[in-house]
Amino acid sequence: MDNNRRPLLEMRDISKRFFGVPVLDRVSLDLYAGEVLALLGENGAGKSTLIKILNGDYQKDGGDIYLDGELVTLREPRDAEAHGIRMIYQELHYAPDLSVAENLLLGHLPRRGPFVDWKAVDDIARKYLALLKVNIPPRALMRDLSVVEREIVEIVKALAIQARIIVMDEPTAALAPREVDILFEIIRNLQAQNVAIIYISHRLDEIPRIANRVTILRDGKHIATRPIEDLDTREIAQLMVGRKMTERSRKTAPAAGEPVLRLERLTRPGDFEDISLTVGRGEIVGIFGLLGAGHGRLTRAIFGADTYQSGQIFINGTPVTIRSPRDARRAGIGFVPIDRKVQGLVLDMTVRENVTLANWGQLSRMGWFRRRLERANTQKWVDRLGIRMAGGVETRTRYLSGGNQQKVVLARWLEAGVKVLILNEPTWGVDVGARADIYEQLEALAAQGLAILIVSSDIQEVLSVSHRILTMHKGRISAEFSRADASEERLLQAAAGGEA
Amino acid sequence: MNRIESAPLPVPRGRQAATTISLAATFLILVVFFAWRSPNFLTAINLVNLASTLAIVGIVAIGETLVLITGGVDISVGAVAALAGVVTSVLLLNYGWPSIWLCALAALIAGTIVGLTNGLLITRFKINPLIATLGAYSIARGLAFVLSGGQTNLLNDPGFQFLGRGAIAGIPFSLLLMLLLYALFWVVLNHTPFGRNLYAIGSNREAARLSGIRVNRHLLVVYAVTGLLSALGGLINVSQLASSAPRSAVGLEFTVIAAVVLGGTSLSGGKGSLVGTFIGVIILRILDNGLTLLNISSFWQDVARGTVLLLAVGFDQIRQRWSEREARRGQ
Amino acid sequence: MSEHVASPATTERRRLPVFRLQEGIGLLAILVLIVVVLSSLSPVFLTQRNLLNLLIASTTIAMIAVFTTMLMVSGGLDLSVAATAALTGVVIAETQEALGIWGAAALGVAVSALVGAINGFMVTVVRINPFITTLGMLSVARGLAFVIADGLTVPVFDPGFAQLSEGMIGPIPLPVAVTLTLFVAGWAVMRFTVYGRAMYAIGGNAEASALAGVPVQRYRFIAYLLSGLSAGVAGVFLTSRLYAAAPQAAQGYELTVIAAVVLGGTSLAGGKGSLVGTFIGVLILAALTNGMTLLSLSTDYQQIIQGIVLLLAVGLDQIRVGSLGRLAAMRT
Repeated sequence: MDNNRRPLLEMRDISKRFFGVPVLDRVSLDLYAGEVLALLGENGAGKSTLIKILNGDYQKDGGDIYLDGELVTLREPRDAEAHGIRMIYQELHYAPDLSVAENLLLGHLPRRGPFVDWKAVDDIARKYLALLKVNIPPRALMRDLSVVEREIVEIVKALAIQARIIVMDEPTAALAPREVDILFEIIRNLQAQNVAIIYISHRLDEIPRIANRVTILRDGKHIATRPIEDLDTREIAQLMVGRKMTERSRKTAPAAGEPVLRLERLTRPGDFEDISLTVGRGEIVGIFGLLGAGHGRLTRAIFGADTYQSGQIFINGTPVTIRSPRDARRAGIGFVPIDRKVQGLVLDMTVRENVTLANWGQLSRMGWFRRRLERANTQKWVDRLGIRMAGGVETRTRYLSGGNQQKVVLARWLEAGVKVLILNEPTWGVDVGARADIYEQLEALAAQGLAILIVSSDIQEVLSVSHRILTMHKGRISAEFSRADASEERLLQAAAGGEA
Repeated sequence: MNRIESAPLPVPRGRQAATTISLAATFLILVVFFAWRSPNFLTAINLVNLASTLAIVGIVAIGETLVLITGGVDISVGAVAALAGVVTSVLLLNYGWPSIWLCALAALIAGTIVGLTNGLLITRFKINPLIATLGAYSIARGLAFVLSGGQTNLLNDPGFQFLGRGAIAGIPFSLLLMLLLYALFWVVLNHTPFGRNLYAIGSNREAARLSGIRVNRHLLVVYAVTGLLSALGGLINVSQLASSAPRSAVGLEFTVIAAVVLGGTSLSGGKGSLVGTFIGVIILRILDNGLTLLNISSFWQDVARGTVLLLAVGFDQIRQRWSEREARRGQ
Repeated sequence: MSEHVASPATTERRRLPVFRLQEGIGLLAILVLIVVVLSSLSPVFLTQRNLLNLLIASTTIAMIAVFTTMLMVSGGLDLSVAATAALTGVVIAETQEALGIWGAAALGVAVSALVGAINGFMVTVVRINPFITTLGMLSVARGLAFVIADGLTVPVFDPGFAQLSEGMIGPIPLPVAVTLTLFVAGWAVMRFTVYGRAMYAIGGNAEASALAGVPVQRYRFIAYLLSGLSAGVAGVFLTSRLYAAAPQAAQGYELTVIAAVVLGGTSLAGGKGSLVGTFIGVLILAALTNGMTLLSLSTDYQQIIQGIVLLLAVGLDQIRVGSLGRLAAMRT
């Protein structure tokens, strides 16, 4: 890297507030043509806000953005695209029933007279595919491609529209290790085309393999920018975490009661394998894994939303068969899914209706709701969990904040009287204050005897609430820690596949 | 260039091909069955007769295919066809327009206007296509009754009858017209940016928009074209019957949608082909024709049509779920 | 400027309750307007006799609309209802001698339930799109009606059976009373029962409902079953009123029903809607039809006006939602 050159992109002192809360505090970032800059930080560190400002999705409150030394204004994604900035989101935008070549040239198909010039389409597609040394047939349909191939097509498309800066958000999240190798090869080829790449990932182990430099954010502040040679994964993890050690997690864990949930060699090949664990009465067990480690799918399988191929689930020592969420509920298992807006809440229904959604049997007589009981029970949970909303229990959940929405889902299972509660990324997209609140509620619930299994990619979260922590790597449990033994560095390493 | 060799080689258009094959099989089975049961089925007279009745549903189905590919639906087509017939006869008989062809032109324009209105309702006012075209259906059908006073009008202009009954070298003219339109729109759909953009819009509207495709303009054109083709279907109907009636083509929208869906076009958009639609139209016609030849009451035709639709789509659904499960197991 | 990315929730929260009230009032205002205009144009319109006629004429649509509303709230759709009503009538007509009129009626209703059950099976088990499923069923049921009746209109003479449509409960004709009862009962079911809650939950978010342990497919099946059943009951009353069953009876009613339901504010996407709205929607369409007949506008105009009213109601609603949303965004 030639550091005397002028950077392609400079973001200087970028600040951003949401509802008066600073999310970015004078963060700077520079990016040179032909380099891969890894942008790292924990959830909530401000990475995605920064990137969205670069893409014109959000407007900055302060600071300047320079491209080639010139001040630019990015009001909407179209502006960013005009400047050659291209985002590649985890959720890809493509037309599955069109060919690779057509997707590459979507909206700009070359013509000959009134017709599509298929030869030109083929040639142009081949040219760009070849630039990155990609061997995908241009005439294949997108839907027939593997995930990594679709992602690569998306990258090639960025190249085809003359992007100079490509931002990749967790591009390896859904990929198998072999596919990651392929992707990295493509990224190196992209570098050879002098394209600059901002690379966001939680998988620290892959950073040294692909990045030239790293920029680390923490709590909305710029912490460090260093060449990759100067850091190892351990140091990166330390910089991301900072010196702060969560005090709450240092309390000694209470002794776990008799096992309530027990998994024995639960397996679905390719997703999770050989998972055996127990969660005791009053115990909070955390499973930490990086995105794609299979822990999320495990939770869905335990709850019957997905299948498992072999293994056995026990509740209170009795084997249970769980083929659907109904079975799971009957067995006394509740599930707080990752995306509360899509999987958790019926947004247009009220808090009351959402809280009681899993307990119709007890709140109705001959199919008619016992309104007073329903209302009273809802109010009870609203008070106990401190759910706050403007209009009382008849407020539609759409209008609640993320933290309160999550509490509504939590309340649903408490109302249903479950013995085991499984939470998948319980504070995803929940702000910091509400997080602590939710953790406290969980601890209180455990103290009353609930068995809680928390699955998360957020290391702080796992550390601060769990009594016991397991790590998952590539679908298997890679290590187990007591609360006293666990530290961020050890968890990160175990989850990344290294020795604990 | 060898990085991705390990990836499975995609089978281009695999699923669509499978659908087309099962369609063709259905078609063959029907042909063989009717040929076996009725000596009259494979006669030249019957085939010409069958062929001459394809055009109305066939032509309207082209427009409906385009609409379904974009992820919409148009249930006003039957009403538009009836309106076109009425407009023609009323202009000719009541307003004394000099030439029936001029009247027919006006009818085509009227159909296009209804289609454009549909498009505007859907793109500008963001009304769900089903509701928008339901409204247009009511209005167009009502207009047909109002303009005609509910009367059936005779229209035996020999020149005009050529449209529906004429033949060139023994081949019905309406069939030739239909084949021409299929060829034309097949080219449009497969070989023009416009046609390819329709697939993109139906398959992922957001991706299409982000790629700079003017989604609304495309939809407007598609609904207008569908209106135009529906009106053309209506004119052929008038020509064949030598009369126009406001209650003609009742239920045409459902037959047309059935044919298109039978042909493998998905209601959720992004998928579909005119070849499939073509076969779908023929299958439904053969079914009607064959049952008639077997002296089975024409009343059974509706039953058979619905059953074939449900069976075909049902099997396709089950097969797809099967292959998806297989694919998942294979991974 | 950027605030509105995150803050519409707060502004919406404030305006929503008022807003929903406006929506209902808007619909009611349309109805009142129509009534006022029609009564000023025709002295007959507001007479008791005419109003009863109006109501009786609307019962077929109204009975079905109750259950179509439930179905559409759950995100479903049923295009086969009118054909099913006709099929039921024909079954009654053809079996009245063998089974006696009431046995025939029971059989007819059973057939309609079977049609509904097949729809439900196709949608929930085979997983065919509801539009296609019920479109195919429309064809099958209508065709069967023609086959069974051999295309003929069959008289149904039975004094007792005729009482079904001619009988009075106090001042109210029996079919009107039945319809009103269905509306009230349906309204209560949608508001106060597990079944009603399930319809809203499934239409609002089927995935979240399933993850909460709601037996989604079972409730959807029931909704289709009831939709078929309601068509059968409507078919019984229709046959009784016409003293005959015709295979082409109720042609096109499926679209009128949907128009009434959508007019009443139920969303095609599911999760939203109410029987109060549907009730007003049915009345609007019925008043229009009746009024135009009184004004001796040919029935032909009625369809046009109905279409325009449907598009205006839905379109204005869209515009209002859009512009209010924009206003709200600008204010913040």
